[in-house]
Amino acid sequence: MNGTEISLEKLRQRDTRRVAALFLAPVAILMAVYIIYPIVDTFITSTYQWNGISAAKKFIGVNNWKTLIADSSFWIAFRNNFVIMVLSICIQIPIGLALATFLDFGGKRLTVFKVIWFIPLLMSSVAIGFLFTYALATNGGLVSTISGWFGGGNVDLLGNPKTALLTVIAVICWQFTPFYMVYFMAAFTNIPYDVFEAARIDGATRGQYFWKIAFPLLVPSMKSAAILSMVGSLKYFDLIYVMTGGGPGTSTELMATYMYKQSFSTFNMGYGSAVAGGMFILISMVSLITMKILNGKEEA
Amino acid sequence: MKKRFARIMALSMAAVMTASLAACGGGGGDSSGDGDGGSGSDSDGKKEITYWNIGVESPDKDVITKAVEKFNSETESGYTVTSVPTQNDTYKEKLVVAMSSGECPDMYSCWSGGPMYEYIDSGFGQPIDDLFNASDIKDKLMGSAVGQASYNGHIYAVPYQNVSMSGIFYNKEMFEKFKLKEPETLADLEAICDTLKKNDITPFALANSSKWTGSMYYMNLAARYGGLEPFQKAVAGEGKFTDECFIKAGEKIQEWVEAGYFPDGVNSLSEDDGQAKQLMYQETAGMLLCGSWYTGTFATDSAEFYEKIGWFPFPAIEECDVDPSIMIGTVGDQFIVFNCEGEKLKAAFECAEAHLSDEVIDFEVENGKIPPIVGIEDKLTDSVTKEVVEAANNASEIQLWYDQYLPPAVATAHLDGLQEVFGLTKTPQEAQEAMQKAMDDYLANKAE
Repeated sequence: MNGTEISLEKLRQRDTRRVAALFLAPVAILMAVYIIYPIVDTFITSTYQWNGISAAKKFIGVNNWKTLIADSSFWIAFRNNFVIMVLSICIQIPIGLALATFLDFGGKRLTVFKVIWFIPLLMSSVAIGFLFTYALATNGGLVSTISGWFGGGNVDLLGNPKTALLTVIAVICWQFTPFYMVYFMAAFTNIPYDVFEAARIDGATRGQYFWKIAFPLLVPSMKSAAILSMVGSLKYFDLIYVMTGGGPGTSTELMATYMYKQSFSTFNMGYGSAVAGGMFILISMVSLITMKILNGKEEA
Repeated sequence: MKKRFARIMALSMAAVMTASLAACGGGGGDSSGDGDGGSGSDSDGKKEITYWNIGVESPDKDVITKAVEKFNSETESGYTVTSVPTQNDTYKEKLVVAMSSGECPDMYSCWSGGPMYEYIDSGFGQPIDDLFNASDIKDKLMGSAVGQASYNGHIYAVPYQNVSMSGIFYNKEMFEKFKLKEPETLADLEAICDTLKKNDITPFALANSSKWTGSMYYMNLAARYGGLEPFQKAVAGEGKFTDECFIKAGEKIQEWVEAGYFPDGVNSLSEDDGQAKQLMYQETAGMLLCGSWYTGTFATDSAEFYEKIGWFPFPAIEECDVDPSIMIGTVGDQFIVFNCEGEKLKAAFECAEAHLSDEVIDFEVENGKIPPIVGIEDKLTDSVTKEVVEAANNASEIQLWYDQYLPPAVATAHLDGLQEVFGLTKTPQEAQEAMQKAMDDYLANKAE
C-alpha cells in the first residue's frame, strides 16, 4: 500500500515537472531570443569600433568603456536621468496616493473623476509629446496665450535650457501620476473592510485611520511603486525624443537618447552599445542599492 | 518572503526589459527581417531588384511609381524592380539596420553626403563610372549634381529628384506696404529687418527645435564671410572650424537673436509641426530662409498665399571680398545608390535612368519639382522656381548642407552647438571648438 502511494506521488511530481517545462518553454525561448541574446550581443558589440553597417568590425577591447567613463556628455545625461528619477518619485507617488485616497474615501460618487484622471495614461507618449509641444509653443500656445492675457510676454519653457528639463518632467508626471493612482487604488482594496470598521468603532477619525492604519499598510506598495518609477525614469526615452530631441543643446539629453544618437545618427554602433551597457549596469546598480535599503528597513 | 521574492522578480524583469530596450538600439540583429525587407543581394533565380526609397506620399510616390513602372514594362534585362517606400523619419535607421544584418536592398535612395560616404566605405555602394559614362544621362545631368553624387573621384549615385537651394522667401505684399525691396547686401537685409521689427513683425520665421533649420542661416553667413574654402579645408583637416568666418557667422546670429529678428522661443518651435510656415501664413513674420522645397509646401498649402511669395538668394556682405554667387543646397536631393553587381547593376542602373526619362521629368516639373537636368529652366513656368534654378546655374560652387555633408558625428556637434548659440547659452567660439573637436576625433579615428 505504502509503496504505491510514494511512487504515485513521485509520478505526479515528475509529471508536474514535465508540464512545467513544457509550459515554460515558449516564454524561455522568447526571453532567450529577444532579451538575453540582445543583452549579451550588446556587450560584445561594445568592444568593437563599428559604424553599425560595415562588415569590418575592429576589436578595441575596453576602449569604448574607457571613453564612456570619461565622457562628460554621458554623465550629464545620467544626471538628467537622476533628476527625473528623484522628481518623479517625489511628485508622482504622493499625488497618486492623494488621488487614490480621495477616490477611496469618496466611493462610487467619484467615478467620473476616476475616469478623467485616468485618461493621460491611455494616451500614447508620442501624442502627449505633440500635445504639449503645441500647448507650450511660443507661437500661440496655451501657456503663452494665458500669459498674454495678464500682460506677460511669451513664455518659452521648452526652448530655455534652464527650464526645459523641468518642463518635460512636469509632462512626464502628468502622464504617469494616474498609473500610481490606479496602483494605490488597488492597494486600498487589499486592505480588508473589517480593518476600517474596527478603527471606526474604536473612534478613529478618517484622518487618523489614514495616517495610523491605512498608510502603514500601504508602505510595501509604495516601495514597489518607487522602484517601478525609478527604473522607468532611468530608461526614459519617448517623450523626450518627441518634445525636445535632447535639446536645446544637450540640456534634456538622457542616457537613452544619447545611446540612440550615438548608434543611429552618428554611426557609432560600438560606442552606442557601450552606452547601452553602461545604462544596464547603472540601472541595475541603482535598483539593487535601493532594494537593499528598502528591504533592510523592513527587516529591522 | 514570498512577497519579497515576487518583488525581486518584478525588479529584475524591469531591469532586463530596460537592457533589452537598449539592446534593440545597440545590437539590433534581427528587427528588419519582417517580410518587406530586402531580398538580399544574391539573386535566387527570380531576378528581382529591391529598391528602397522615401516615396510614401504624393508627388514623390507617383514619381517613383512612374519611373519603376516604366522600367518594368520596357526593360529587356529580365529583371523586375520592386519599390519599397518607407517614411522619411524612420528611413535612415531602417537602412542602417538592414545593412548591419546583411539585408541591404539592391538599390536605395539617400541624401548623399556624410551618411552616403559611410555606406560606400562600408561596401554598400558600387561605383558606376562605366555605366554612367556610357549613358545619355551623363550629358543630361547638371555638373554640380554629378559632383554631389561622387566620392573619392568615382561616381556612386544617380541624382534625380529636386534642386533645392537655400534662399530667402519673403512676403511681397508686406514688402510693398513698407516700401522695401530685395536686398543687395547684408546691411540692406538688416535694414529690412529693422523696419519689419518696428512694425511688430518678426523678420525671420524660424523653428529651430529641429536644429538644421538654424544651420541654414549659419551656412549662408559663413559662406558669405569666408567663401567655401575655410569649410573645405576644415573638412580635409587642413583648417579649423574656428576660422574667422565661422565665428563671425555665429556672432552675427547672436546679434540678430538679441535684436529680436527671430521669433520668441525659437529653439522650441518645431519645423516638423510647421510652426515656421505658420508664422508666414499668419503674416506675423516677413521672411523665411530655407531650402527651396518650400515652394512646393507653400503652393500645396495655399495657392493663393503662394502668389504673395518672392525669393532672393542670401545677399553679399559688402566688406567681404567673397564670390556672392556661392550657393548652399542640394542638386538632386535624392540620390540612388547601388548595392549590386554585374547584370543586376546594369538593370538597376537602367531603372535609375528611367527616373530621368523625359516623361518622368515632365511629370516631376508638373508637380513642382526641379529635377537636376541641364536646361530645366525652360520647362519651368513658375517665376520663383525659375529664379532658384538661375541662382543654381550661376553659382560658382554649390555646397551641400553641412549637416548632410559632414561626417555624422561632426554634423551632430555642429547642430547641437549652433542651437545653443541661438539660445545664447554658448558663445560661437565654444560651439566651434566643440565642432572642431568632433572633427579631430573623426579624422584621428579614420587615420587609425
